[in-house]
Amino acid sequence: MMRIIINECKKALTSPILIALFILFSAFNIFVIISSSDHKEELKMVNEIIDQYGKDITDNSMERFESDIQMDFAELSRMTGSEFTSVYEFLDGLRFEDQEKYNDEQWEFFNRLQLKEMYLNTAKSIDESYGEIDIRKTAESEIKKYGLSGNAAETLMNEYDKFSERFDEMVNNGEHKQWFFAGKAYFMHSFLFKTVFLHIIIEALLLIVLSTALITTYEFENKTHLVAYSTKRGRKLMKNKLLASLAIATTIIVFLFAITLGTFFTVFDYSQIWNTSISSAFNWEYNFPYVAWWDLSVGTFLIGLIALVFIVLLLFVGLTFALSVVVKNSYITFFSIAALFIFMWLLPSFMPTSSILLFVFAYTLPTLLLAIGSSFMGSSGLIMFENFEWMTISCWTVITLAVSFMSYIRFKKIDIS
Amino acid sequence: MRILWNELKKIFTWKTMLLLLFINSVLYFLLIEFYIEYFPNGSEVYSYNIGVEMVEKYGATMDENEFIDFQKTYEDKAEEATQYLQSREDAVGNGLDTYEKFQAYDWQNSSQKASDLQGDIFFESEIDLFWELQEFERLIDFYNYRKSIPDVLTDNQRARLNELIAKEKFGVYTEIAMSNFKHFIANVGVAILFSVVLVISPMILKDRSRGILPLQYTSKKGRNLLKTKLLAGYIATFLVITGLLAVYFSLYSLNNTSMFFKVHVNTFIANESWYDPTFFQFIMLCVAAIYLIGFIFVTLSMSFSNVVPNLVSLIGIQIPFIVGFLIFGLSRLLPYMISVWNPKWLAPVSYGSMIIISFIIVYCLVKREKKVDVLM
Repeated sequence: MMRIIINECKKALTSPILIALFILFSAFNIFVIISSSDHKEELKMVNEIIDQYGKDITDNSMERFESDIQMDFAELSRMTGSEFTSVYEFLDGLRFEDQEKYNDEQWEFFNRLQLKEMYLNTAKSIDESYGEIDIRKTAESEIKKYGLSGNAAETLMNEYDKFSERFDEMVNNGEHKQWFFAGKAYFMHSFLFKTVFLHIIIEALLLIVLSTALITTYEFENKTHLVAYSTKRGRKLMKNKLLASLAIATTIIVFLFAITLGTFFTVFDYSQIWNTSISSAFNWEYNFPYVAWWDLSVGTFLIGLIALVFIVLLLFVGLTFALSVVVKNSYITFFSIAALFIFMWLLPSFMPTSSILLFVFAYTLPTLLLAIGSSFMGSSGLIMFENFEWMTISCWTVITLAVSFMSYIRFKKIDIS
Repeated sequence: MRILWNELKKIFTWKTMLLLLFINSVLYFLLIEFYIEYFPNGSEVYSYNIGVEMVEKYGATMDENEFIDFQKTYEDKAEEATQYLQSREDAVGNGLDTYEKFQAYDWQNSSQKASDLQGDIFFESEIDLFWELQEFERLIDFYNYRKSIPDVLTDNQRARLNELIAKEKFGVYTEIAMSNFKHFIANVGVAILFSVVLVISPMILKDRSRGILPLQYTSKKGRNLLKTKLLAGYIATFLVITGLLAVYFSLYSLNNTSMFFKVHVNTFIANESWYDPTFFQFIMLCVAAIYLIGFIFVTLSMSFSNVVPNLVSLIGIQIPFIVGFLIFGLSRLLPYMISVWNPKWLAPVSYGSMIIISFIIVYCLVKREKKVDVLM
């Protein structure tokens, strides 16, 4: 039995095209990460700030931070010979021909001071900018933006009321008062959890669907089905093929994640960031900050997302398996899965904007995968529901198990000659 | 002839057709529908209406007298706006009793009453006048800046822009019809590329994996059969592309842009190009480019189909080529192929070299097939 699984795995593992694609994808991911790493040195500033003042932004730590910056200003005045209360003031007033006057070390000092001042100013304005947030207004503008009415509007409004409580709780806990990379300057959350994760997801999906279809339809496409399915093991071989596909998928996911995220965290220094809350006020990229439904740290959030992606991709193995057992053709399987993927993602847009179906049909695996960076968030538009992730996963686990089981049962008795 | 017919029947099985239909409807809703359903999009409708009027009144080009007339239309409308403002008490009360004052008002630091008035005029009242005026102003601005060229340019680009100015080919007409078409055609290109590759790819591989090559190659027709198969592949490509283009262009006709067809591309705002076809000729150029892209990628598909061991490898090996083309090639070689912002030689050289490579591939395929060991 074990030997059969290993031999089934070999069918995918020894396929030169799949291996070449895997290498190509990994290289592409590494390229994407390296080519957008211009600001990686600047990012280290947050690590230094956390190192010195702790991850929480308290009155006490702000005082220390501010007095240190005052000392830096004194240093600036000594260097330039005039008084400044902000490094921006100095840089704005700097004439082009004066730039030569300062050496590299001094420029380094100016740049660092500029960064520190940016973080200090943002931290100071947290209370004010969070005071301006009115969840009810946000809800109303979302409803207007998507043109919702009736039941749909009501449902979304209720969820926003719930979110409003969570938001207040978060503000009381001070989850937002923790240091993180400045969102509006670097977009690190989007880069890691959207760009990089989406690359991994799409690539892994391609490889997984291809390898599963290859293993499952192998006997039919090589005309060995009459032999293979008349052995003692017989049509139970399909079970081994499913296990082999799952094993291959796991291997692909693990290695793709390891290579890509390994590169990412070598290039970008996250060493002090792990314990910062994902709902940090600095994690504010567009017109609303990222606010999670639970108190998650960056590290937990990352692990949570990896787990989500892993489960969803394994579910896709099951769905591909179910379809290719029925179709018995890897080519048609691949394109059908691709088309179904897009179709399910588009489903909500076919629904009336007055009906709650609009939300129900968003509980699909493609929606979950393609919006992975907004998982667990209350600030993610129409899929902001608290139960979105676990409901999607559990519903689709049931569906996947059911269709796989049905197509397997059907296969056991079908005429395959 | 009968063999060719039978090969074609092997390509167009009902399963493939069904899949083709499914994939295209999904891709239509994903990529194309937006540019049909939402044209003109929101406030673009004023731009569209004014553009249509301009074309009807001034024809395909606009000289200075016609521009003076255009400006007069604007002034009439502004007068109308003034009258409207004077009829409103809240406007007069805020000192905004003429359109000039309304325009010159400092909206960044406006009073609450004034911004209420502005919101009411633009969003609440059913009055299009102020939106139209904004569009007029935008078009007049473009006309006023028609002779200025950006700083960062290569020598060739600067020469071309100066040449356009010397020939008085200015971007004066609204660009929305053009940009809508560019988005539309790029996405049609994607849908068609996927479709032809989907339909044609497995054809040659199917015979090999069924193990009927030894049988086919010992018949009277022998190894020349590959030529017939390639021909069948190209005919099928032509049919698929033509059929899909017919469907997509009949959908495009809903956009109602035919009045712009006689306008030259350089006469649209921000559409400086190396050549100066009319909009209609540009559409034909894009259609030709889609056929070329289709034939080139089908050549690639058929050659892979002749060498790879199984269907999964057939898909896998094409992924980098197609994705690479979509990322780096498509927009440069289809909607922006004559744009001045791409080097002049880029599109001709790329298409030329891809065509030459295709011919070499076909030649090698046919030659290889004459001697290859089909039992392997």
